[in-house]
Amino acid sequence: MMPSLPIWQFDVLLLVLVVLFAVVALSIRNLMGAAVVFGAYSFMMCLIWAGMGAVDVAFTEAAVGAGVSTVFIVSTIYNTSATMRSRPGGMAFKLFIGVVVTLAGVFLLSALPDFPDWGDPNSPANATVAPYYIENSIRDTHVPNLVTSVLADYRGFDTLLETIVVFIACIAIYSILRIETAKSKTDEPEEDIATAPPSYDPSDSLIVRQASRFMVPFMQLFALYVIAHGHYSPGGGFQGGVILGASLILLAISFDLKFLLRQWREKPLMLLVASGVCLYATVGLACMFTGGNYLDYGSLDSVLPNDRAMARSHGILLVEIGVGITVMFSMLAIHINLASNGRFDRGL
Amino acid sequence: MEILAYILISTGLIFFLGTTIGLLRFPDFYSRMHAASKGDTLSTVLILLGCICLVSTQGEMNWLLGLKILLIINFIFIGSPTATHAMMDAGNKAGAEPWKKDSQ
Repeated sequence: MMPSLPIWQFDVLLLVLVVLFAVVALSIRNLMGAAVVFGAYSFMMCLIWAGMGAVDVAFTEAAVGAGVSTVFIVSTIYNTSATMRSRPGGMAFKLFIGVVVTLAGVFLLSALPDFPDWGDPNSPANATVAPYYIENSIRDTHVPNLVTSVLADYRGFDTLLETIVVFIACIAIYSILRIETAKSKTDEPEEDIATAPPSYDPSDSLIVRQASRFMVPFMQLFALYVIAHGHYSPGGGFQGGVILGASLILLAISFDLKFLLRQWREKPLMLLVASGVCLYATVGLACMFTGGNYLDYGSLDSVLPNDRAMARSHGILLVEIGVGITVMFSMLAIHINLASNGRFDRGL
Repeated sequence: MEILAYILISTGLIFFLGTTIGLLRFPDFYSRMHAASKGDTLSTVLILLGCICLVSTQGEMNWLLGLKILLIINFIFIGSPTATHAMMDAGNKAGAEPWKKDSQ
């Protein structure tokens, strides 16, 4: 691992670009352009995280912020409108908002000097629990990547609840957007997959379809590598799940949404979203049945072949797979909901 | 090997400069996309080749790192022209007029 380079000029340049992109994304009138600028903003944030040495966070930011969320915004624009309507309220309203935002900014900035210096060894975060993780992670869990062992083992409860947050977000979007009645009007009778005409517009470019058909298997292989290799290198269930979801979203965009919906019906999709969380929670329960605390993977050594530390490593892998399943199918379900306007039949 | 790396990376940067100038100076959508796509792909590939030369000089397991960068090159080589093609197609469908010499 290379240490992060202390080039502060580079950081300043990136921060200036971030502020610039944020201002441009707010001031641009065409929402499609704003979405693209927002993706660039996320990518700059990703570079800043990477420069600070937080490679896992940078990975997540690149996959979620610059990748999938831009697609979500675009598919939302597809079903609404790309031009911004003028906001309600006159000059007094704008003045009021300006004062509120300025006050909030002043309060936030006034709290800034209380932060410890970056990398300060005496700061509360570094002085209390962090040394324990750094000294004992390899011995306890055989996981060299501290982020993974902290995320999925030492702080397994937090990650369980984070996964549930993704699950709830998916359920919320589903319950807001899904329209059951509209389907019966627009949907044609169930067609036989073998004889049905191609579900995409054949006059669209062949090149895009073939290139994405070539790339998707490699993307999925890479995503599985990211999930499985998260013990040793940056990555894990969240990043790998997002890449898996993005590979299927790429198929949906380059062919047609119907192409994807033939393989992923609504019911199995939503069941799979829930099954990832279930897998995570079941691993926790299994730990209780084998005599440990909830999510204390060490006690799984009575059913797994190796010692306690290896059992913790395997437990981390299991819960990462659960996280990956939930995140992947959440991304897919959110995209289908946004792109088909909740009808689950056709769309972007 | 390091000298080769620096030659490759600086050639890539020169092509990036050309890409930027082309993007700013060309008259219409299609020629701008053409400059951006070709220059961008070539210079990224050159810089990554330079990175392979750099990692091959340091540390063990560098062949694995080089192989990974080679895979990235492969993906850029496929993905970037395809993305450009899709954008060109979208521009054509949206009705972007190609620039002609006497149209000024």
